[in-house]
Amino acid sequence: MRAAGARPWEVRVGSVAMSEETSLDFETEALSYMDQLYAAALRLTRNSADAEDLVQETYAKAFKAQDKFTMGTNLKAWLYRIQTNAFINTYRKKQREPKRTDADTVEDWQLAAAAEHQSSGLASAEQQALDSLGDTEVRRALSELSDDFRMAVYLSDVEGFAYKEIAEIMDTPVGTVMSRLHRGRRMLREKLRDYAAERGIYERSAGDADHG
Amino acid sequence: MRPNEESTSAVLETQTMAKRQCEEALAKLFEYIDGELPDTELLRIGEHLKDCPPCEAEHQINEKIRMLVSQAHGDKAPHQLRERVLSTIQAARAELQAEG
Repeated sequence: MRAAGARPWEVRVGSVAMSEETSLDFETEALSYMDQLYAAALRLTRNSADAEDLVQETYAKAFKAQDKFTMGTNLKAWLYRIQTNAFINTYRKKQREPKRTDADTVEDWQLAAAAEHQSSGLASAEQQALDSLGDTEVRRALSELSDDFRMAVYLSDVEGFAYKEIAEIMDTPVGTVMSRLHRGRRMLREKLRDYAAERGIYERSAGDADHG
Repeated sequence: MRPNEESTSAVLETQTMAKRQCEEALAKLFEYIDGELPDTELLRIGEHLKDCPPCEAEHQINEKIRMLVSQAHGDKAPHQLRERVLSTIQAARAELQAEG
């Protein structure tokens, strides 16, 4: 279980009057998230040069918009939101990756979810296969997901954001976040199974049979 | 209803109930793992996982994948990026102060 505290999320549009007490010590506070923003930027852009440019752009935008940040709200989520928007506006266009529409509904994955119950033999084979996989393969699997799925999985699994926060960062309803997480994680799991099978660790054909 | 029919229907009913519990647990497994469920559901599904090895195995597999993803992504920002961002911010701050 994740050690999840209450995560107050408040979006305030419009600026807050700045005073000594309420202003953000931008250099200290915002810059403390640079490693995390850079790691996320790497996942988004898939290369280090673009990731550096994206983080740079994120901080420049955040600095200019800092009077729009409400003190006491989640600074990290706010920075992620700026970065995600910058990525969508700049890099996604540059990469000419068509924006995928998420026509999938909540019912979609709820229906799909119920089927998966495997025999104990298959489950333990899969667990062993997972144990044998390295960071490189896990990163490769995540990088192969489309932007929306990759982002949702990353923000939840790596950053531990709550669904509501991910919804704010990705500017999408919570139901869509859940759908992206479900589908993204299922695809990720499939890929990890495939990698293990390629290496002969896991009998791929076994994974398709014997549900129930 | 004869006694053996009665017991057959009782067994069927129990099986149906167990199946429903599995369906609920599997459908809400990610929310369970992500700490997004209200307490009552969290407890109910937690109890089911304790009693149902196949559901618990699914739970373990998904927890493991989440952990693998989390562990594989701890990149640090390169030093030159930190410098670059700092100088951008300092320049922006200077500009702001010059404007008054």
